[in-house]
Amino acid sequence: MIGIVFRLTLRQLIGRGRTLMMGLLALLPVLVAVVYRLGSQDTDQAEWAATVLFEGLIVTTLLPLAAVVYGTAVLGSEIEDGTAVYLLAKPVSRARIVAAKLLASWLATTVTVLVSGLAAGAIALAGEPGDGILLGFGVALVLGSLVYSALFVMLSVVTSRALIIGLVYVFLWEGLVNGLFAGTRLLSVRHYTLGVADLFVEAPERVFEAKLGALTALVLMAVVGAATTWYATRRLSRFEVGETT
Amino acid sequence: MSAATVAVRDVSRWYGNVVAVNGISFELGPGVTGLLGPNGAGKSTLLHMLSGFLAPSAGEVEVLGESPWRTPGIYRRLGLVPERESVYGLLTGYDFVLLNARLQGLADPHAATRKAIETVELAGAAGRATKGYSKGMKQRVKVAAALVHEPEVLVLDEPFNGTDPRQRLHMTELFRRLGAEGRTLLFSSHILEEVEQLAERVLVIVGGRLAASGDFREIRRLMTDRPHTFTLRTSADRRLAGALVAHKSVLGVELSDGRLVVRTSELGAFARALPLIARDAGVSLHELRPTDESLEGVFSYLVNR
Repeated sequence: MIGIVFRLTLRQLIGRGRTLMMGLLALLPVLVAVVYRLGSQDTDQAEWAATVLFEGLIVTTLLPLAAVVYGTAVLGSEIEDGTAVYLLAKPVSRARIVAAKLLASWLATTVTVLVSGLAAGAIALAGEPGDGILLGFGVALVLGSLVYSALFVMLSVVTSRALIIGLVYVFLWEGLVNGLFAGTRLLSVRHYTLGVADLFVEAPERVFEAKLGALTALVLMAVVGAATTWYATRRLSRFEVGETT
Repeated sequence: MSAATVAVRDVSRWYGNVVAVNGISFELGPGVTGLLGPNGAGKSTLLHMLSGFLAPSAGEVEVLGESPWRTPGIYRRLGLVPERESVYGLLTGYDFVLLNARLQGLADPHAATRKAIETVELAGAAGRATKGYSKGMKQRVKVAAALVHEPEVLVLDEPFNGTDPRQRLHMTELFRRLGAEGRTLLFSSHILEEVEQLAERVLVIVGGRLAASGDFREIRRLMTDRPHTFTLRTSADRRLAGALVAHKSVLGVELSDGRLVVRTSELGAFARALPLIARDAGVSLHELRPTDESLEGVFSYLVNR
């Protein structure tokens, strides 16, 4: 049953303009890496790839943007246009529907950021040992995609303004507030993602160092992913047609 | 009535301070029942509660012995045709019905899909994407999707919206046949004639309250026997008014704006008496016009009687 909903959701995602837009956005890091390699290369290649390309561009911007676009669309657009009724008026547990939607968002986000990140990283690090940067950020992007997706799928069940609230979370909370107060990192998927990357990156601390320990990051990812998925299922079980949120 | 398949007991639903459905009770068995009421009467709210998409604020809703709220298993035996037109636009009609069959977990979803599509006479357009469908075709593909698992109870919210007269006739015959097969169908409409043509039983809902329920003929009689108001144009209004006021079927007369307005409590008796009274009074009748035949007027009477 999960497979039926999963395939339907992927068809819906692929058939819409937002996927083309995300594809174009995913090209941006690759272009930036090409420009970097063609330029003067004053900085250390590993340091540039880890801090500017991955941390600054892909983890901070591309990953949450792709996740918020796909995560809020996989179920939110059906709730908005009324077609969710055809899924919900079936003898299918709400947990399976949420699982299928989450998998679709995770796959779409992961493909977007992983292809972009690995291609851009390979260009930036060509001829260098790499110091586990590609492996570390590759694993981190896969896990980060999952947790962001779980968060935004939940938002789309809770509110009809999920896209706006998601963007506020990404750019105001993670972008601004996290920089002002160290404690708020515990509530930032971006910092969890960087924490996981740090587990594999072998480069010296001056090149890349996450502000959250890898173990803490992994535990928080598991907690946030499970809690948001559980809450999305609970809210979908109590979903009311015509409810105003 | 045979055993109730749908039971609503003292059900209310409110949104904040707004009461959408107010203390409604009824039971339904197999057959076709029409839920009649003006726009905003609470029909959709009631149907959403019956189909498990709204929790009652008070009271109990039971479909096939279970509360439909938070009971996904009920959809094996319950079908729903929502009012909203939207269907998955990227799917063909066939794929849309097939999706519903698969989500129902049917053993042979393709056979069930073909049968449902033939039932609604959509085979010719089944290979086209639903985004290109007319309103009537979307209604039919929605009905096919709701029928694909052959449910015992079918809830249809304004199923005739957007259908042309031929499609309406076909759907009417289909729903009658489904009712005769022993299924329970409850459909909503704000058009009296639709309900009259199809439903054996009627629930009239106005302002969130059940205004009348029962056999359609009984409701029709109530509607016919209610006080009616007519405007007359005659050769001598004042003289006819004097003659009419003495008749037992006339509740009152009024002369206003050069017209004679007559209120009657017995439509049949008044219709028979009027020509005789006019003749005896030597008055010619030029025009006789009912003034309160709007559906809302009829509904208001049923609520306030």
